[in-house]
Amino acid sequence: MAASVSTALADKRLPVRAAGPRVIRNPWWVRMLFMTTALTFVGCFLVLPLVAVFIEALRKGVGAYFGAFADPAAQSAIRLTLLTVAIVVPANLVFGVAASWCIAKFDFRGKSLLITLIDLPFAVSPVISGLIYVLVFGAQGWLGLYKNAENPSWPALAAWLNVHDFQIIFAVPGIVLATTFVTFPFVARELIPLMQAQGNDEEYAAITLGASGWQTFWKVTVPNIKWGLFYGVILCNARAMGEFGAVSVVSGHVRGETNTMPLHIEILYNEYNFVAAFAVSSLLALLALVTLVLKCFIEWRHAQAREA
Amino acid sequence: MAFARAKRSVLPGFGLSLGFTLAYLSLIVLIPLSAAFIKTAGMSWAEFLEAVASPRVVASYKLSFGISLCAALINAFFGFILSWVLVRYTFPGQRLVDALVDLPFALPTAVAGIALSAIYARNGWVGTWLDPIWAKGVQELSSIVPWVDWPSWLGTKLAFDRPGIFIALTFIGLPFVVRTVQPVLAELEPDLEEAAATLGANRWQTMTKVILPELLPALITGFALAFARALGEYGSVVFIAGNQPLHSEITPLLIMTKLEQYDYRGATAIASVMLVTSFVLLLLINLLQKWSRRYYRV
Amino acid sequence: MSIVANNIRKTFGAYTALDGVDLNVPRGKLVALLGPSGSGKTTLLRVIAGLEYADPGSGRIQFHGEDVTDVPAGKRKVGFVFQYYALFRHMTVFENIAFGLRVKGRKERPSKSGIADRVRQLLKLVQLESHGSRYPNQLSGGQRQRIALARALAVEPKVLLLDEPFGALDAKVRKELRRWLRQFHDKINLTTVFVTHDQEEALEIADEVVIMNQAKVEQVGTPQQVYDRPASPFVYQFLGNVNVLRVQALAEAGALARGAAAMEANGQVYVRPHDIEVIPHVPGAMGITAIVRYIHTAGPAARLTLEQVKTRETVEVETSRVTLANLDLKVGDLVNLRMRQGHSFDGDYTI
Repeated sequence: MAASVSTALADKRLPVRAAGPRVIRNPWWVRMLFMTTALTFVGCFLVLPLVAVFIEALRKGVGAYFGAFADPAAQSAIRLTLLTVAIVVPANLVFGVAASWCIAKFDFRGKSLLITLIDLPFAVSPVISGLIYVLVFGAQGWLGLYKNAENPSWPALAAWLNVHDFQIIFAVPGIVLATTFVTFPFVARELIPLMQAQGNDEEYAAITLGASGWQTFWKVTVPNIKWGLFYGVILCNARAMGEFGAVSVVSGHVRGETNTMPLHIEILYNEYNFVAAFAVSSLLALLALVTLVLKCFIEWRHAQAREA
Repeated sequence: MAFARAKRSVLPGFGLSLGFTLAYLSLIVLIPLSAAFIKTAGMSWAEFLEAVASPRVVASYKLSFGISLCAALINAFFGFILSWVLVRYTFPGQRLVDALVDLPFALPTAVAGIALSAIYARNGWVGTWLDPIWAKGVQELSSIVPWVDWPSWLGTKLAFDRPGIFIALTFIGLPFVVRTVQPVLAELEPDLEEAAATLGANRWQTMTKVILPELLPALITGFALAFARALGEYGSVVFIAGNQPLHSEITPLLIMTKLEQYDYRGATAIASVMLVTSFVLLLLINLLQKWSRRYYRV
Repeated sequence: MSIVANNIRKTFGAYTALDGVDLNVPRGKLVALLGPSGSGKTTLLRVIAGLEYADPGSGRIQFHGEDVTDVPAGKRKVGFVFQYYALFRHMTVFENIAFGLRVKGRKERPSKSGIADRVRQLLKLVQLESHGSRYPNQLSGGQRQRIALARALAVEPKVLLLDEPFGALDAKVRKELRRWLRQFHDKINLTTVFVTHDQEEALEIADEVVIMNQAKVEQVGTPQQVYDRPASPFVYQFLGNVNVLRVQALAEAGALARGAAAMEANGQVYVRPHDIEVIPHVPGAMGITAIVRYIHTAGPAARLTLEQVKTRETVEVETSRVTLANLDLKVGDLVNLRMRQGHSFDGDYTI
């Protein structure tokens, strides 16, 4: 659907014709102008920020750089980020596979509406993504009102909730939920067009050869979509690790407890501890670079598979 | 919602996969989102108006809209040139540049925010020489056109003022135009340009009358996507905006501020205005893509 | 306007697309460039149009005696129709046709009403008067082709060039449209070159056929000349079915009467399937003895596939269905084959 850029693997097409030397082309000075403009733009907005992260992180030397990671708060932030990703990515992966299976393999009414709804989180501002969970689970939200109601619908449940007073908002579960919301469409969005393009013939063939549903899925479908799956996972992972706005709303900003890496960066930066802020940032920037490299690699593999 | 049964199929798992999809979608997305609207619906009209139309809020709308629009326009212009260069020319490092275009998708917004402010701040790499030029330019402009309050429009410095918001929003919107225009340009047959040439059109005419109209739907879609993304952006902006109420406070930041003051109603009311705006934009983008395909039906 | 091209060379990297090609298209003629894919015919057409420049130092191209080798495509006054039409999708049919007129410089550009008149005239010429406000995707393949033609003609070209004009159409429309093109050419009488890989198409409508193979011109002539007197084994095989028989086999069967001495014993003779006569087998009689392997009777003529008894090589024969009925043949029968006419590139000869 629409609110998406064609980063999708299924959309990547190789140029139809090799661009040989052509008679019909722009004069050299136009070409130079275009090149210079484009590369200056890329330099100012993409290359410089990336380089700046690493240089600022190393401004006071390697010792200061690694010192930033000796801080227990930094370590705790890294652990929390990894924990979040370890929950969010598999959950959205399972969802993505289930959603694309029913959307790509079957015809039913309301399909395009379903696709639109799956993409919805991309249209929502990160701050609002956090806010809606506060409205559901916060002290002022539905859950809070229920717990504090004078005569709730299921008194036993309310009592139980009040006894086991676990927190969702301003705690880890809230961070996980908000991150899940923000990265919700990634895997499904990659897989749906890919599986639609591949059609059902191979699955039909497997079924007629006597394979069971699970066998068909694991032995026929999964090998066919593995690159798309991987692609969706790395994009989901990058966003989950780096999400700031949504997590910022639902996190209590408790140092060493509910701070993820991006939130830790914010605190360090606001304390004018720039080296440490950029040091932690450099980890996330490295992650972004690895993501881009993997992305290129998968696109290259995909293109090769298509040519074969 | 009418999700009808699938036609009988040989493949198994329809009920399971659709059931799981709908349950997960409802729990994670639909129910929480509806909370915003239900909470807003519980407000009286006067309350709602006060929350969404107070001067500070209106100022933030204007700012968010205006700068998002500027950033998306700039992205449309440079994005077109960048896609052209990536598709039509060959140069060393081309693949690297192509890969880098996705950086704003991959780089966490907080990192982008502090990196951009480090570059464009008064003592930053580019800011060192560009910031005085900007300040001077605004001053000059004020003396030439004195009846407009330029410093409050354009800010007096790059980072920690309005230009900073523009820089951050341009950064995060950059991939959208390139990634929508690039595939369309790559698929554009050279035949079209050759046809125009044999009919006597010069390069300028071919560009403006043949290529641009072909790319226009993609260009507008990319622009709209970049605009929609910029409206909601928070992470990269807050580090570089200065965040002064009524001057450089974007709407998402205002929601955040209200939350920090435990003004949940106010925050929710503004959020529902933004949600409606983004859904309308989403609808428009959808229609736009349908419209853009109208020539391609066979 | 006549087109003359001399010694045109065009290479793409290590690949030679045109290897010293000469072409001479007389004024007002409809000429077909015929050849298999990769033979260089489309490249030649594009070089003529100015969409491709020939290698530096190679030959010249002249339109009506005027050297246009270095003239850019837009100034050559050629009408070029692309294989997939290259219609502008975002413009209506009317706007497509008007494009060439609207991009003219202010001095040459006709007035608004002048352009409208001219477009209407062209729409009438291609018999699509009522389609002016449609978009290309609302037209059938054949209609798009005619619009592409009208668009090319709008700028009053001196030469019309068509790249595989019927290549993207289905079989039935192809046939209709190629007859239409022939009539159309007779009406407008514009020097026209078209590229095709379909020999039937070229032989049916062209005044003259230029047969190309592997970057070179193999033969130039009227359809009848190239069909009846192919200049090379390639042309023989490219234009219709042909049997390649060994001189030795023919000689042993006593099927060579005259001119045999002039031919090498291991030479080859090219014989069209309809130039072989089938007669009932009589031992010791003249002709090659062969066994009937298949009989195909679906179609206007009957086709036989036979196997020569001695060499076990296959021979294809085409005959009328009446003749076949008279022979009363079954698969496995023995027959004698005689040549009415054959062609050898060691020297022509006839039985």
